[in-house]
Amino acid sequence: MKRSVILATVVAATGMFVAACGGSSKSTSSSGGGGTSASSTPGADTAAGAKGGTLTTLANAAPSGSPDPQVNYTLQEWQFLIITHDGLVGFKRTSGAEGATLVPDLATTLPTPTDNGRTYQFTLRPGIKFSNGKVVTGQDVKATFERLFKIGDSPNAGTWYNAIEGGDACVKTPKTCDLSKGIVVNGDQITFHLSKGDPEFLQQLALPFAFILPADTPAKHVDIPPPGTGPYKWSEYKPTSAMSVVRNPFFKEWSKDAQPAGLPDVIEQKFGLSVQAEVTQVENGQADWISNTDTIPADRLPELSRKYSKQLHVNPLLNTEYMALNTNVPPFDNEKARQAVNFATDRSAIVKIYGGPQLATPACQVLPPNLPGYQAYCPYTANPGSGKWTAPDMAKAQQLVTESGTAGMRVKVNSDTTDVHKAVGEYFVGLLNKLGYKATPQFLSNDIQYAYIQNSKNKVQFAYSSWFADYPAPSDFLQVLLGCGSIHKNSNSSPNIAQFCNKDIQANMDKAGATASEDVNTANTMWAQADKDIADQAPWVAMFNPKQLNFVSSRVKGFQFSPQWYLLLAQVSVK
Amino acid sequence: MAEFAFEPEPAGVALAPGETAREVAGKNPWLLAGRRLARNRVALAALALFLAIVVVSFGAPIWANHIAHVDPFSSNVNGTTVVDGKKVEVIQQGGGALGIGENPIGPTWQKNYLLGADSQGRDVFARVLYGGRASLLIGVGSALISCIVALLLGLVAGFFRGPVDVFISRVMDLVWAFPIFLLAISLATVLLTAPDGLQWGPVRVDPASLWIPTFIIALVYVPYVYRPVRGQVLSVREKEYVEAAIAQGASTWRLIFVEILPNVITTIVVMLPLMIATTILTESALSFLSIGVQPPAASWGTIIEDGQGLLYTRPWVAIAPGIMIVLTVLSLNVLGDGVRDALDPRAKLRLKRAKVGK
Amino acid sequence: MAVFIVRRLFGLVLVLFAITVLTFLIFFATPGVDPTRALAGRNPTPETVAAVRHQFGLDRSKPAQYALMMKRLFISRDLVSYGNQALRVVPAIKKAAPVTFSLVIGAAIIWVVMSVVVGVLAVVLKGSIWDPVLMILALIGISMPVFWLGEVANLITQDRLHDTFLFSWVPPLGYTPLTENPWEWFKHMIIPWFTLSVLYIGFYARVLRASMLDVANEDFVRTARAKGLSERRVLLRHVLRTSMITFVSLFGLDFGVLVGGGALVTEVVFGLPGVGLLTFRSLQSLDLPVIMATVIYGAFFITIANAVVDILYARLDPRIRPA
Repeated sequence: MKRSVILATVVAATGMFVAACGGSSKSTSSSGGGGTSASSTPGADTAAGAKGGTLTTLANAAPSGSPDPQVNYTLQEWQFLIITHDGLVGFKRTSGAEGATLVPDLATTLPTPTDNGRTYQFTLRPGIKFSNGKVVTGQDVKATFERLFKIGDSPNAGTWYNAIEGGDACVKTPKTCDLSKGIVVNGDQITFHLSKGDPEFLQQLALPFAFILPADTPAKHVDIPPPGTGPYKWSEYKPTSAMSVVRNPFFKEWSKDAQPAGLPDVIEQKFGLSVQAEVTQVENGQADWISNTDTIPADRLPELSRKYSKQLHVNPLLNTEYMALNTNVPPFDNEKARQAVNFATDRSAIVKIYGGPQLATPACQVLPPNLPGYQAYCPYTANPGSGKWTAPDMAKAQQLVTESGTAGMRVKVNSDTTDVHKAVGEYFVGLLNKLGYKATPQFLSNDIQYAYIQNSKNKVQFAYSSWFADYPAPSDFLQVLLGCGSIHKNSNSSPNIAQFCNKDIQANMDKAGATASEDVNTANTMWAQADKDIADQAPWVAMFNPKQLNFVSSRVKGFQFSPQWYLLLAQVSVK
Repeated sequence: MAEFAFEPEPAGVALAPGETAREVAGKNPWLLAGRRLARNRVALAALALFLAIVVVSFGAPIWANHIAHVDPFSSNVNGTTVVDGKKVEVIQQGGGALGIGENPIGPTWQKNYLLGADSQGRDVFARVLYGGRASLLIGVGSALISCIVALLLGLVAGFFRGPVDVFISRVMDLVWAFPIFLLAISLATVLLTAPDGLQWGPVRVDPASLWIPTFIIALVYVPYVYRPVRGQVLSVREKEYVEAAIAQGASTWRLIFVEILPNVITTIVVMLPLMIATTILTESALSFLSIGVQPPAASWGTIIEDGQGLLYTRPWVAIAPGIMIVLTVLSLNVLGDGVRDALDPRAKLRLKRAKVGK
Repeated sequence: MAVFIVRRLFGLVLVLFAITVLTFLIFFATPGVDPTRALAGRNPTPETVAAVRHQFGLDRSKPAQYALMMKRLFISRDLVSYGNQALRVVPAIKKAAPVTFSLVIGAAIIWVVMSVVVGVLAVVLKGSIWDPVLMILALIGISMPVFWLGEVANLITQDRLHDTFLFSWVPPLGYTPLTENPWEWFKHMIIPWFTLSVLYIGFYARVLRASMLDVANEDFVRTARAKGLSERRVLLRHVLRTSMITFVSLFGLDFGVLVGGGALVTEVVFGLPGVGLLTFRSLQSLDLPVIMATVIYGAFFITIANAVVDILYARLDPRIRPA
């Protein structure tokens, strides 16, 4: 997902304080690696902590968009939704690579699809209740998916869930959506019929859009998420003050892997403080955690590192930060020009802007490490071959620029106004000028930048962007960001910002997608090849893979970082 | 800031302390004012300070290129410099157990990086000097434009009165109540996002151009200067000799420019240093909020904003430009006092309320 | 007089209308501000985009959109932010207003008291070294950018001297409502109060001093002296009181501007969730409904203050000629 879209208002709201604090909530910094933080070893902190207490978290602003779980696209709200609601399947609630695997949740087992990947058969677990006391039935499941279409503006209804038979018709006439053909309910047997096979369907079922809601939930946006099956239920959602969840009295743990019982009694998130104030509050023990939407100010890092190093956790993210090069507009319609910029980029300087090598690692390719299908590859370095970036190669870059014949052209370097991104933009203005272009900055407010750079009529040549995985799959990066099907001309929603479309590579990606349902390993090898081929064509200047810095209070025990959901809120103890 | 107006008596009547009537009789009022100002040592000191700041700011290229040998505008994240004979990185790895974060170097108190570096490794002192150029240009430019436009509008409204007066005064009310920030943000966004830049005839508007904040700030303060000017025009207009001249059939323009204007000019001259002070402060506020001067240009306000993220570790980045603003604005305020005293030592402070539409 | 008031009220409505229309037009002239950009999520289908546009009335003509927005703002009061659909604009303003009032009223009390003290002192001590010293201090106060002073204050109270007895009581940046915890509220507000008032103390002290010196030469004061009243009595009862007319008029205007959101930078620097901060955030995120509401709120107070001061001044000061 493009986190900045999701966090558009949040980030802008944070803008000032983030500007004050030298970071950007888009590229949330995190600390990881080192082995110096207590929780870097999975399992080390999973000893069952004491139940009870209130986990107080802070965020500068409420999640943007609607609170409706079928519409909201912010990780900020998702971290709460996963403990108030459940899907038929879910991501395992644990840290490390295990946290990227699927386990059955409301269903009893993970089905293997039949009929060429078009049919999924689930058995609903008996006796699970919503927080209003009602038992979950197959009708609730069917109604949930119909509501996805009925509310009209669920972001992925038309792109993911329309694979369900009848889904396309529902996109056209949402009010009368009927998925009786696509979701057949027979007692506790629920069968999904898809119009075409989708190897990622199960992962899409594990996201909050598909979390099961009561059938009588009205088909318009709610102001607070409706009752769910999780260990907590929503008690408050006020965008100007706080949101909080309390224990669901009807919850009984049925699967520790999918939905463990929670430790704190209440989990709340208070809004409105500046990030500086939030850091001080956590230091003083007045709050327990700062949401990842807020970046810890760079000038507090030395103090935190010195005095509170045990309360800092650095964890890797499935995220790549990059500059998109428009392959349809000069000068970067020329492959040599694109490669030149890649060779010239000093990724260590950019890592420094972000906060140093502990918080980010240089990248030359699209896929981030730890994603299935990732194989380290970096041709754009001095002495290539090891797969790691070491140093820029200015000489090669200059040579390529000359060969491309694009020197002297005007280039607008587009970025947003948050501190880190602005600094990166200014770095590139200088770099491009050094290479012989006439570069000028174009720094837009965070809220409009992402939509602006996607729209082809703005003829953006060189723009900052980033991408976080919706779920751990290579297609979530490669197809969405560099697939021919992701180019929508003159639309604010065209995630293939580079407008990259290569027939051969596209064919390979499609094959990899098709192979995934049968043989995941072969598919991953194919994805890795596509990643390499794309890197060679250089539609991007991939810059770095950030790590996430989490700062918790001294009383927080059991910090677990899931690669999908980040800090698992319900599994820390505060007593 | 609220408004006030000075209502000097027609020149030639008042006496400064220590002057005799004989000294002032028959002298050109401007010459008289100049002499009084020359005798006011505090005002002269303020003028000298202001001029010194101007000279130093406009001498920024000399400092950057020939003395310190730094480029205050290029990103220099991986750069190095020599301090006390040792080569150091301009931005250094943070410390602590986790080694997270990066710190720019602090003040070296030497020619290079006198006040240290900012988060992009640029020399703060050199930037502050360059920032002065932008802030002063915008401050003086917008104050001048504001005063000239307000003068014209005030003359027209005050002289013709009636519906013309009502219309202009209501428009001024509207401008005064309008949110400047919205205008600034909107304009900045429009200019930045126009795919091929903005062209108005032969004029190409660059988003980083200093003219944009200049015009926005000038626009905002027109009503501020307009009110006292209009009040002054109204009061002069009612004087007997003006009524007489009208009765004699003198042409409108002659009246305006020969009889009224000279009396109103003093208002403008007195207000000008104060307006420059005000516009400099406003520009710094807009730039601080990132809706004034745009990169790659820098002004004192943008540097303070740069310094916000470094406030606790490298406070000089935020403090130095602020000190420059204080010194500049202070000198202008003191000078403004001196000018007012020179033009009329007994200038009365009155609040002129524009009663429109009666 | 009644006619005058009615006329001014009418003028107020006209000004507000003009400002909202201008705001509306400027907003839509800015590219990329369509709310679907944030709400439609990633890779939405054209149907989703259309649904969002319809929900916000963006598929209608501009005048219809304007009317719809005004209706939702004033009549049904359910105007919703573009950024967060659970955020109702009118309650957000209602929540932010007390913060701004706290800041401005507190600062106003401080600056009025202090500037009267300083101004009177300067007049009383005229001729000695203290008069120019006080005036220079006042000038320095006027010359400092408020946000910079605030940053310096934060640096000192939150960091450098935070661990000393001087400032250890200073809470982290933010706000606690008075009704929730008066002592916390006070601790949060005291530094912002002083920061904001420094600027105005300087200005009003000078205004008062100049005004008093001006009045001191008036006939009625000379008469009072001739009658044998003590200098102090003359000062306090006659001179000061007359000078306050100007003072109060100016104060009314400044107060109106501040309450209307003019203390924006102060709120930003100190993290106070008032109307100024709301205004700024909404501008940055191009959230038209909130922008519209804050613009109306601000213009309302500024224009009302203008009108009130006009009326007051006309009644109180016989010397001012009607312009």
